[in-house]
Amino acid sequence: MLNRSRFPILFCVILFGAFAFARAGGLGTAAGNPQASAAPDLNGVWSAPFTPDISKALGHQPPFTPYGAARFAKEDEFDDPLTKCLPIGPARGIQAGIMPFQIVQTPAVLAILFENQHTFRIIHTDGRSHPKDYDPTWFGDSIGKWEGDTLVVDTIGIDDRTWLDTAGHEHSNQLHLVERFQKMDDNNIKWTVTFEDPKFFTAPWSVTLPIARQNTEIMSYSCEENEKDREHLRRTKK
Amino acid sequence: MSSAAAFLALCLLSAPSLVFAHHGFSVEFDKDNPLTLTGTVTKMEFMNPHIYFYVDVKGKDGKVVNWAFEGGPPNVIYRQGWRKDTLKPGDVVTVKGFRAKDGTHLGACSTVTLPDGRELSAGSGAASLGSNNPGANSGKY
Repeated sequence: MLNRSRFPILFCVILFGAFAFARAGGLGTAAGNPQASAAPDLNGVWSAPFTPDISKALGHQPPFTPYGAARFAKEDEFDDPLTKCLPIGPARGIQAGIMPFQIVQTPAVLAILFENQHTFRIIHTDGRSHPKDYDPTWFGDSIGKWEGDTLVVDTIGIDDRTWLDTAGHEHSNQLHLVERFQKMDDNNIKWTVTFEDPKFFTAPWSVTLPIARQNTEIMSYSCEENEKDREHLRRTKK
Repeated sequence: MSSAAAFLALCLLSAPSLVFAHHGFSVEFDKDNPLTLTGTVTKMEFMNPHIYFYVDVKGKDGKVVNWAFEGGPPNVIYRQGWRKDTLKPGDVVTVKGFRAKDGTHLGACSTVTLPDGRELSAGSGAASLGSNNPGANSGKY
């Protein structure tokens, strides 16, 4: 039996030990993300080949619904949200941002910092789920988990004002993105993105692009700094 | 290879097509209306979202018109070797590009030939990142 006079001391020792264990990560973190310690390091500045028409990477047009086909037929680059200096959106920022992006990785969060317009994505890797009620935002809600050497990112709630590319492929608020960032070696990531949107596409479709490390740093960018084009733009479709 | 020669090689190797950061090419410029103009640089704006520079060009009638030329994003062409003083007021240059659809004295600059004869790409292209890139980025995936 415990000596009643020594119990408070023992209690404090146990409490301190539990606290220190929790601070160090403990079982909670390990259960939430069992491969956290083995996750590849994606930190660095990266770029994918500029792909302004994503159907070129696919090899053909996406499997449009009749509604999606009609929207694409009348879409005009004149209406590109980027021309209005609005945010580029989560996938287009990677495949058609022209400029590189930086990945900043921590155990709980991976951030993608786009040089284009100095916008960013936050990908939660702490084991959380998507919020139940989520009003669409420019980059949506992203959660990620590690599957071996691959970060799998699931994104919903992407504002339908973003485009998938410069060519005018659009989407609805029902767009669901699944991205796989597979670390191939120190300087290369294989990026596969799957687009699912029942309003625009009859089936999910995927493209894969190489992401390569860049010997550069993210530079400054302000879309409004010296914008002089809008007054000269002309519609290309009636 | 000297740095100047490397710079020239880099510029000549960069993608010939114009790529714009915040708008498509065809909504502003006419690919069927190419132009080549020689004149004197009056101003350089090395700013986002695209560089602009201005050139006084004397027409056949002797009248001087100040043309505006748009190039790629400054960040992209900086990585190709451009600097804000690559074009200086007073430089006599020859610009190749495409005229704006609205008929104003505006063009998209694809290349500019400097007084020393170097021809620089003023557009941008993904290929320009290749020379600065330890990764494969070769499309093998």
